[in-house]
Amino acid sequence: MELQQERQLPLPRDTVWDALNDPEVLKACIPGCESFDRVDDNAYEAAVKAKVGPVNARFKGKVTLTDLNPPASYSMSFQGQGGQAGFVKGSADVTLTDTEGGCTVGSTAKAQLGGKLAQLGSRLIDGAARKTANEFFDNFVEYMGGSGEPGETAGETAAATVDSAATAPARSQAWVWAAVGAGVVGVILAFALL
Amino acid sequence: MYAFGYHRPTTIDEAVTLLGQSEDASAIAGGQTLLQSLKQRLAQPGELVDLGAIKELSGIAVDGRTVVIGALTKHNEVALSSEVRKAVPALADLAGAIGDHQVRNVGTIGGSVANSDPAADYPAAVLGLGATVETNQRRIAADDFFIDLFETALEPGELIKAIHFPVPKRAAYVKFAQPASRYALAGVMVAETGDGVRLAVTGAGACAFRVPAMEQALAGDFSADAIKGVQVDADELNDDIHGTPAYRAHLVNVLARRAVEAAR
Amino acid sequence: MGEPTTKIGGSTRRSEDKRFLTGQGRYTDDINMAGQTYACFVRSPHAHARINSIDTSMARDADGVLAVFTGEDLANDGIGGLPCGWQIHDVSGEPMAEPPHPLLAQGKARYVGDHVAVVIAETKQQARDAAELVDVDYDMLDAVISPAKALESGQPLVHDEVPDNRCYTWELGDSGAADEAFERAHHVTSLDLVNNRLIPNALEPRAAVASYSPGEDHYTLYTTSQNPHLARLLLSAFVLNLPEHKVRVVSPDVGGGFGSKIYPYAEEATLTWASKKIGRPIKWTAERVESFLSDAHGRDHVTRAEMALDTDGRFIGMRVDTKANLGAYLSTFASAVPTILYATLLAGQYTTPAIHARVTAVFTHTAPVDAYRGAGRPEATYVVERLVSQAARDMGLSQAEIRRRNFIPTDAFPYQTPVALNYDVGDYDATLTRAEELADVAGFEGRREEAQKRGKYRGIGYSTYIEACGLAPSNIAGALGARAGLYEAGEVRLHPTGKVTVFTGSHSHGQGHETTFAQIVSDRLGIPFDDVDVVHGDTDRSAFGMGTYGSRSLAVGGSAIVKAMDKIIDKSRRIAAHMLEAAEADIEYDDGTFRVAGTDKSLSMAEVAFSAYVPHNYPLEQLEPGLDESAFYDPTNFTYPAGSHICEVEVDPDTGRVEIVNFTAVDDFGNVINPMIVEGQVHGGLAQGIGQALLEGAVYDAESGQLITGTYMDYTMPRADDLPSFRVDTCNTPCTHNPLGVKGCGEAGAIGSPPAVIDAIIDALRPLGVTDLEMPATPLRVWQAIQDAQGRQVA
Repeated sequence: MELQQERQLPLPRDTVWDALNDPEVLKACIPGCESFDRVDDNAYEAAVKAKVGPVNARFKGKVTLTDLNPPASYSMSFQGQGGQAGFVKGSADVTLTDTEGGCTVGSTAKAQLGGKLAQLGSRLIDGAARKTANEFFDNFVEYMGGSGEPGETAGETAAATVDSAATAPARSQAWVWAAVGAGVVGVILAFALL
Repeated sequence: MYAFGYHRPTTIDEAVTLLGQSEDASAIAGGQTLLQSLKQRLAQPGELVDLGAIKELSGIAVDGRTVVIGALTKHNEVALSSEVRKAVPALADLAGAIGDHQVRNVGTIGGSVANSDPAADYPAAVLGLGATVETNQRRIAADDFFIDLFETALEPGELIKAIHFPVPKRAAYVKFAQPASRYALAGVMVAETGDGVRLAVTGAGACAFRVPAMEQALAGDFSADAIKGVQVDADELNDDIHGTPAYRAHLVNVLARRAVEAAR
Repeated sequence: MGEPTTKIGGSTRRSEDKRFLTGQGRYTDDINMAGQTYACFVRSPHAHARINSIDTSMARDADGVLAVFTGEDLANDGIGGLPCGWQIHDVSGEPMAEPPHPLLAQGKARYVGDHVAVVIAETKQQARDAAELVDVDYDMLDAVISPAKALESGQPLVHDEVPDNRCYTWELGDSGAADEAFERAHHVTSLDLVNNRLIPNALEPRAAVASYSPGEDHYTLYTTSQNPHLARLLLSAFVLNLPEHKVRVVSPDVGGGFGSKIYPYAEEATLTWASKKIGRPIKWTAERVESFLSDAHGRDHVTRAEMALDTDGRFIGMRVDTKANLGAYLSTFASAVPTILYATLLAGQYTTPAIHARVTAVFTHTAPVDAYRGAGRPEATYVVERLVSQAARDMGLSQAEIRRRNFIPTDAFPYQTPVALNYDVGDYDATLTRAEELADVAGFEGRREEAQKRGKYRGIGYSTYIEACGLAPSNIAGALGARAGLYEAGEVRLHPTGKVTVFTGSHSHGQGHETTFAQIVSDRLGIPFDDVDVVHGDTDRSAFGMGTYGSRSLAVGGSAIVKAMDKIIDKSRRIAAHMLEAAEADIEYDDGTFRVAGTDKSLSMAEVAFSAYVPHNYPLEQLEPGLDESAFYDPTNFTYPAGSHICEVEVDPDTGRVEIVNFTAVDDFGNVINPMIVEGQVHGGLAQGIGQALLEGAVYDAESGQLITGTYMDYTMPRADDLPSFRVDTCNTPCTHNPLGVKGCGEAGAIGSPPAVIDAIIDALRPLGVTDLEMPATPLRVWQAIQDAQGRQVA
């Protein structure tokens, strides 16, 4: 499966970059995201509860970054296990470009889905991925727009921020988080399946 | 399937209470989608609240201007209702072409509409006929109801009670069945109503959607020729082994013209 | 349909249907044993993965779990893999590559659904719950799905020891003669053809119940097999190393097989072994998704085919190059299907003098592929008939004319083809003439014009197929690589009261043997139909058997029963002579009565039987008491059912939907025992053939190797409303070499119909510029073909 997403955001690229710098933003904005942790220099783990219609599955995913070219582009590979539901594995190329009135985040993801999700849900995969990506960006814009509450996860975010503050990366490592942020978009693109 | 608690309330209030008591409770109507998910272990509700014993949710009432169908009314009850057939034959036709007899004897209109499967038939009727969805909390216009893939305006704890279909001047539903599942690869409901022409599509996108360009063309001239050149944008349409977006876009036009010709 | 008598030729109602229709059938899943446990198999979600480790500790500790086994446990017990029953030799002279086929994966998983571990628990639910707790550490590896791609260098290997994933390359026919024909050809018709992969989908999924009795050191396996004796033989001799006489295999009522239940599978072998390990009976029943993933699939060929014609449209040469997808492992008959059962049929009904076929069999990361209704012969028919129909269009000849110019004439039989087979008899022109009549070909143009007025494109397609059935002469099969005999066994037991029990090694799983075989016995022994019982499917009851597949049951199994009846009649004649005090030569036998020639002195078969069991007035010096005879029948040749199928379609150019408006099948099945059952078999075969042509197709994701068509949401089974009311008839020439003169009818519909359907669509769409179409001709594919053709025309 190949997924192409492009989303124009009414926000300056730097702002988006900085926001994606914050894992708590991502956790708050990724639909169904339950956790989001750094496990190694270029490796991160996320837990996402994907829900499409009557079907739900909890995925644990790993994201590894490659070909980093801050602040414009990078690639990543990701894989996630959803227990009975199956698994997802793939890679994505992400770009941030300045556009009029803001910036555009583009992502081309290649994903392989396996297990029951692939056997049962092929008709819904593209639509679910598109929907999840849209929800992420909607949440993101809303979050950045200062309207404050991107849904229920906001409360949890506040609590979790304290933790992450202790281990927050130095400013110079901002690009790492940005990459991970978009990377998780890739993951959820692929997660959002059935 | 995984083990779950099972409840069979007899009133809506009781059902809402039960659903509110657990985070992972799920309502079940006819279960034609949910049961499959449970069997495949792709859904694991802790509690299942069966709406089947709530009598006030079933039944069909027709007056001169509206057909009201209770949420738990089964597809075959709609398909075989002489009153529905007389008032809105397109609706009876649509219900009679859902799945097979086993599905039609168990599946419900409320379950189908609340589930908002992208290829389900009923959403095309709700949207195409300009129906109103009555819940235990409010009335929702069809245009506000279908949001996205499996997503509707229903809030947690909100249950559909009935669907109110205004009787159109004429209408028709034409579907092209996906060969394996017989869900709609694409389906079009067209209706000429007192407020103009409505044309809704299912099967082709993330959820049922209207095609304003076709509606406008038909408002001036309710004929197949009027929309011959009006194509929907393939970009956002569904893609699977049975239909490319371009094929679905083409089918929407073909089916829309056939629906216009069949409208009565 | 014939008269409703119970004799040969009568459309007797199927006696087995009463129990099926009233819910009294007894299938494997209906069998429950005291202390029974349940198995759930852990299957690979990956098409190709290295298994680093399997942690079963959590599963073992789960509620109700009795045991969790992996491939390592089987290896530790010296359990072998599943054997392949047919050895093909590569063109190099070397035997085919035969990598191990372990019951549970050893080190690697090679297709989605491959068996990795088994969990056995007190309840089915507990087994499933615990199966989720088996923690398998996989390294996902790249997979290869397409056979053509799998042969390229640098592709992932399915088996490390099989370079280029090539199992074998095999050739048949005279390549020099074929090349020479192409050099002097007036015209050459060429096609690239795909024979789509099918998933069998029997109504009843596979199931097994295995138990072990320590007191008797005896195993019993109930399983959904088309040939329980072969299952016992392979299980005991090759897989589990058990003494054959200590294993009983029972196939009770079985709900459809279509080939997919011929083969011993990993599940029942694992259960049999594990039942002794845990000391309890174990049951396993496949879920439908498991069936999709792990039942042996069918077909899956990619072929380049060419036909050389002279100026008169006569076929002078044919060349075929086929790549056959075997899947990840060699299933029981996998190697024979694209070779012996395929290339030998490439002469079709025609006098093509020079034919050469080259077949490369390839491993890929997909479910094993094996025989499925028709097995090799549908693939051959599709190649031959698509070529012939295209050649007719190329040469400007009618479909009937090109065929008639090339048919083997009736006076040429027995006819030796250039691809090994020797056809005994047939009348191809007769079936074609009758089919054209029944299909009202004369009125077709009128119907086409009428359809055009409705905006529909109407087309007509022909297929004049032949098949080799009645598998098989053991000596020929052996010379061609078979590792087993292909005879059949039968036993006819008259009881003292004149009732009869027939024991057969054939297995009925929808074919109606209990009726057909009883008709034969009733007819020959003059015993009422209701007094004949047919027993099958139990290694403890029938002496031996090679099972049911390849349209062999009547031609081979039925012949064995006839041979046994010959012995019964022989012995009875001698008993009757003694009782009637006449010379044996003076005893005439007819319809169950022994009569002294020229007198009214007679005895019925029942009276003779009684005397045989109560031998008070009996020639005990010459004859043993009792009346129970058995026979093995090994055919001297294949049988060659053949026929003409004509399909008429209407295509909606706006949607691409194809409707089959008429379908005519006129077949030559040799003598027919029960016309109603034969017609039913034709209907079923046609449904599957039309299913292949229009609807069915297994789709694996080319990159991930995931089965996309894993449920009925995406895999399209033919339904009643996809099919017209068939026009079916027979024009029969009796088989010359078996005692019943029968040929077999089970596979014909699936073999003959696909090219007729596809050519009808191509014929319909010719005005739009469509010249080729791949199976299945789904609405999307047909619509796309129209778009592409229109685009080409504009360009």
